[in-house]
Amino acid sequence: MKLPLNWLKDYVDIDIEPKALADKLLGIGFEVEEIIYTGENIENVKVGQIVNIEKHPDADKLQVCTVNMGNETIIIVTAATNVAVGDKVPVALDDSHLPTGKHILASPLRGVMSYGMFCSGSELMIDDSVIEGAEVNGILILPADTVIGQDIKETLGLNEYVFDISIPANRPDCQSVYGLSREIAALFGQVAKKPSLEYTAYKSDLTIPQAKISNKELCSLYTGRLITDIKIEPSPKWMRDRLRNVGIRAINNIVDITNYVLMEIGQPLHAFDVSFIDEYIDVRRAKNGEKIVALDGKEYSLNEKMLVIADKNKALAIAGVMGGEYSGINDETKVCFLEAARFAKENIRATSRAIGLRSDSSARYEKGVDWNSVELGRERALALFAQLGAGKVTDLSTGDGVQKPEIKVITTTSDRINDLFGIVVEQEKMVETLTSLEFEVEEKGNTLVCKVPLFREDIDNYTDLAEEIIRFYGYDSLTEDFIKDAQPTVGGMTVRQKNIASIKNTMVALGAYECFTYSFINQKQYDLLCYAENAPERNTIRIINPLSEEFSVMRTQLVGSLLDSVYTNQSRKNGDFRGFEIAKAYIPKSLPVTELPYENDTLCIVYTGKEESFYTIKYGVEKVLDGRVDYSIVRTSAPYLHPGIGADLVCDGKVFGSFGKIHPTVADNYGISADVYVAQIDLSGFINIEKDLVPFKSLPKFPLVDRDLAVIVKDEYTVGEMIECIKSAHPLCYTVKLFDIYKGEQIESGYKSVAFSLKLRSDEKTLVDAQIQECMNAVMDALNKKFGAKLR
Amino acid sequence: MKEKLKDITARALLAIDKADNNKDLAAVKVEILGKSGELTGILRNMKDLSPEDRPLAGKLVNEARVEIERAFDAKFKYLHDLELAKKLEEEKIDITIEGSDKKLGGLHPLTQMQNDVIDFFTSLGFAVLDSPEIETDYYNFEALNVPANHPARDMQDTFYVTDSILLRTQTSAGQIRYMENKKPPLKMINIGRVFRSDDVDATHSPVFHQIEGLVVDKHITMCDLKGILAKFAQRFFGEKTQIRFRPSYFPFTEPSVEVDASCPYCGGKGCRVCKGTGWIEILGAGIVNRNVLATCDINPDEFTGFAFGIGLDRITTICHGINDMRLEFENDIRFLKQFN
Repeated sequence: MKLPLNWLKDYVDIDIEPKALADKLLGIGFEVEEIIYTGENIENVKVGQIVNIEKHPDADKLQVCTVNMGNETIIIVTAATNVAVGDKVPVALDDSHLPTGKHILASPLRGVMSYGMFCSGSELMIDDSVIEGAEVNGILILPADTVIGQDIKETLGLNEYVFDISIPANRPDCQSVYGLSREIAALFGQVAKKPSLEYTAYKSDLTIPQAKISNKELCSLYTGRLITDIKIEPSPKWMRDRLRNVGIRAINNIVDITNYVLMEIGQPLHAFDVSFIDEYIDVRRAKNGEKIVALDGKEYSLNEKMLVIADKNKALAIAGVMGGEYSGINDETKVCFLEAARFAKENIRATSRAIGLRSDSSARYEKGVDWNSVELGRERALALFAQLGAGKVTDLSTGDGVQKPEIKVITTTSDRINDLFGIVVEQEKMVETLTSLEFEVEEKGNTLVCKVPLFREDIDNYTDLAEEIIRFYGYDSLTEDFIKDAQPTVGGMTVRQKNIASIKNTMVALGAYECFTYSFINQKQYDLLCYAENAPERNTIRIINPLSEEFSVMRTQLVGSLLDSVYTNQSRKNGDFRGFEIAKAYIPKSLPVTELPYENDTLCIVYTGKEESFYTIKYGVEKVLDGRVDYSIVRTSAPYLHPGIGADLVCDGKVFGSFGKIHPTVADNYGISADVYVAQIDLSGFINIEKDLVPFKSLPKFPLVDRDLAVIVKDEYTVGEMIECIKSAHPLCYTVKLFDIYKGEQIESGYKSVAFSLKLRSDEKTLVDAQIQECMNAVMDALNKKFGAKLR
Repeated sequence: MKEKLKDITARALLAIDKADNNKDLAAVKVEILGKSGELTGILRNMKDLSPEDRPLAGKLVNEARVEIERAFDAKFKYLHDLELAKKLEEEKIDITIEGSDKKLGGLHPLTQMQNDVIDFFTSLGFAVLDSPEIETDYYNFEALNVPANHPARDMQDTFYVTDSILLRTQTSAGQIRYMENKKPPLKMINIGRVFRSDDVDATHSPVFHQIEGLVVDKHITMCDLKGILAKFAQRFFGEKTQIRFRPSYFPFTEPSVEVDASCPYCGGKGCRVCKGTGWIEILGAGIVNRNVLATCDINPDEFTGFAFGIGLDRITTICHGINDMRLEFENDIRFLKQFN
C-alpha cells in the first residue's frame, strides 16, 4: 500500500528522514519496498514570468525572452511558439536537471546567451493528471496565480515521499493512511490524531430510501446518508495530488471523496444517484442467473452465493465489488445516497474471483473491514463533502445491521508473556506499548486485563499480545539460547531416506550426475515415449490450474524428463554423460482423483555416448539392486526401449523397472542423435526396507584354479542360461564369466562360439589335476546335454 | 706374503675403480676372489706355512679380503645406483597431463546442501520426516490455521488437483502429520519439494524445496528459536554471521518472524547481493500457533514450540552464488560438474 509522508503527517507529529522511517517500519513488521520521491530528478527548475519577447537577431525560428525569476531577471532563448508576455512557465535554470536525464547549462544560441530553457510537460515527464496543459505540444503554461520563483516541484505537488509498504495479511487495519498512522504513532510514543469529522447536517424535506439487510451473514452493517445539492466539479488540487500519489486517477469531487476515504480510512464507500433507487435498499443474495451491467460497462451473471445491493425492482450494485452502470454519480446527479457498509470478506473474495472482477473496493473488502471503520469512513466522507462544498449533508440517514461485536478481553500475566520470549520485559513497558496501540489495559499485580480495540480483529490470545509487545520492544533484545530446557530426543533419517542416499552414492560412483526435473510434465510426453493409447502410465493426475500445458500433469514416469535433459545437453554440445534422478512418480489410486495418490520413489538413469552399451547400464542397475531385492530379467515390453536391446526387471511376477537402449522412434521424437541408454526403476517396493546386513564369509584358504572353456552352440541359447548350467554342473565351479562370443569364419551359420573363464575352488584342499579334469568333464557333459554344445 | 697381499689389494682396488660396468666388475671379482683367484690362491697356500705363522697370515689375508670385498660392494652399489638413476630419468613422464580414470559422477548442489542441512539438524536430535507432495487441503492449509478464503492463501498461489487435493505449497504440511502421531518432546525437520504457481524466471520456480523445522516441548521460547537459527546461519554462512528477527505474519505461528542473516558477501556493509541493506532474508519462523497445537491434541497451555521454514534453493543459491534458479532444473552437465 502507498503511504505519502505528508498525508501521514496529518495524523502523527514526526520529523524524520524517509529512510530512517522506513527502517523503523521494518522493525515493527512493515517492509517498505520502495521510497518514491515524486520529484525525482527534477533539480533547479523554477517558475518564471515572461516579461518581454523579441525576435532573435540571427534566427527566424528563435525568440529571445526576458524572464522574471523573482530574485533576478534572465534571458532565455526559445524556439517555442506558444509563449506570450505575461505567461508563467517552468524554467530550467543554468545547471539544472530534468527527469529525462538532460542536464541544462547556460549556453549561447546562435550568438545570444540563453541562461536556461523553458520546459514542456513532457520534459518534466508529467501528464494532465499533475497539471492541466502538461500534455499540450509546447511549453507548459502555468496558472496565473502561480508564485514566481517557486520551485516547480512545489508548484506541481511533486515534492512528496511516498512509501510503498507491504502490509501483512493479518493487518487489514493497516491498509490505510490512518491505520498505519496508528502504528507509526506508537513507534514515537504517541497516539494517532483523530481525523476531522466536522460538518453540519442540514434538515431536509426529502425522504431517504430505507435500507434493510436480508442476509446479515454476508453484510453485518449497512448505513446510508442523503446528500443534496450535489455540485459535480473537479476536486481541489491537494486532493487530486494525494490521490495521484497513491495511484488513483482523479475523476470528480464525489468519486474522489469516496476514493480519498478508501485510502485514508480504509473504508470503501459507494455513492448512488438517489433518483435511480426504487423505494428502498435491500441487501440480499443475488438470484441465480440475475444479471447486472457494472460501471465497467460489462454484464455479469450472478448467482445466489453472491450479494447485491438492490432496490425494489433491480440490483443496483454487486455488493462491495462494483456499482451498476446507471446507479452511480453522473453529471446530472442532484441528490446522492452515500453507502458505507461492512461485507463478509470471504464472500467478497469469492464473488470477485467467480465473476473475474476486481476493484479497489473489493480488494479492500477482501482483506477485511472492521466495524468501526464503517462509521468513521462515512463521517470522514461527510466532513469532506462539507469541506469541499460538494453537496449539502442532510440529517437523513438509514441503517441496518447485527449487534455491534463485543469488545474482546484477554486476561494474561506479564510472566506468561515473558515465558514465551525467554527474556524479561518490564510490565510497565508492556502496558505502555499496548496503550499506545489503543488497547485498554488494566493491571492487577502481574495480571493484565486487555480490551482489544475493534479494529484489531487479528488479536485472539496472549501470544498475539506478546507479538505486539515484542514488535515495539525490539526483536534485537532477544538473546540466543539453544533450546536449553528441551528434553533430549533421538533424531536421524528414516530407512527410506538412508536408502535413497545410498543409491545416490552408488550412482555417483558409477560416474552419473544427479539431475533435478519438474514433477509436472506435458501429457504429450506419453506420445513421444510411444506409450499405447490405453497404457496405464497415461493415467496422470491433471492440475486444475497449471502454468501451461507444458507443466500440466503429474508424471507417472521420469524417462521423458531425463530425455529432455539429454536433448538440452546435446543441443549445447556438452558431450556424453551419465545422469540420474530419484523423484516421485505419482500414481493415482483412482481417476478422477478422490484420495491421495501413491507417490512412488523412482530412479531414472541415462547414459549417452558411443562408449555406453546395454551392459554398462545393466551393471549400474545391478549395483543399485544388489542386496535390496530378488529379481529376474526378461525381454522388455517398455514402449520407449529398443525391443531387442532392453530388459524388464521382475519381482514376484511384477515388472518394477526397465532398462536398455531407447527406441529409435523415441530418439527421433526427442531429437536425440546420440546413443542413449536409459533405466527406470520403481524403488517403492523395497525403499523402506533396510538393506540386508552382510554375514562375513571366511576368505578361501586354498588357491583358485583358472580354466577356460570355449564351446559351440546354436545362436538361440543365451549366455545367462549357459552360465547357470555351468555353475550347477559341478560344486567346484566357483565363478564363471563370459570372455568372448564369436561368430563368423570357421563357425557354422546359426551357431556361435562362446568362451568362458572358470575359477575352480575347493574349501577343503588344493585341487589336483584329476579333480579339475573331473569337474571340466562334468561341465562339458552338462552343456552338451542341455544345449548340444561341442568343445571348440 | 705381507708384501704380496699389499700388492694384490692395491691392484684389486685399482681394477675395481677402473671397472665401469657390472660385467667388468664381476670379472675382476672372479680374478681376485674367485675359486682360482689370486687371494684364494694365497689362502690355499696357507697350508704350506708353519702352524705358528698361520694365525697371523690368516688374519692378514682375511683383512685384505674384507677390504677388497667392501670395495666391490661399494662399487656394485655405486654402479647399481647409477643405472637406477638413469632408468628413473628415462622413465620420467609429463606430470602436467590431466589425470584420467573411470569418471566419478556427482550429487546435485541441492542434494549436497540438503545433506549438510540434515547433518546439522540430526546432530541436534531432529528426526527427518517424509510427507506427501500431493496433499489434502486439510494438512496444507486448514490444520495450519488457514481456513478456506483466508487471505493468507493469496500469499501462496496453489496448484489444485481437486477442490480438496493440491500440490503442497509448504513443507509445513508435514507438521500436522507428525504431531498427530508423535507427542512432545519432539524435534523434526521435513525436507522436500513444494509447488507454487510462480512463472519461471531467475528467482522463481514453480517447483522448489523447503526445509520445515519443528520443536515442541515445555518452556520453548523465542530466544531458543533465535539461538538455533543463529547457529544454523553460522554453520551455512560463516561463523561471524549475525541474524535478526523482523515481525511478520504466518497463520500457523504467533508471534511470527522473518529472519535475516548478515550478508555473507559483504559482511553487512551492503553490496549488490543484499541490495545494499547488509541483510539477506533467509527464512520465516515463529512460535507455533496455539490453534495448531490444539488441532493435534497437544495442550497449548502445557507445551510451546517453534517452527521455521527455510528455502533450500535459496540457501544453495546464496552459498554458491548461483544467479539463476533455472539452472537448477536444466541439468546442463557443465553446471552439475561445477559442484563435483
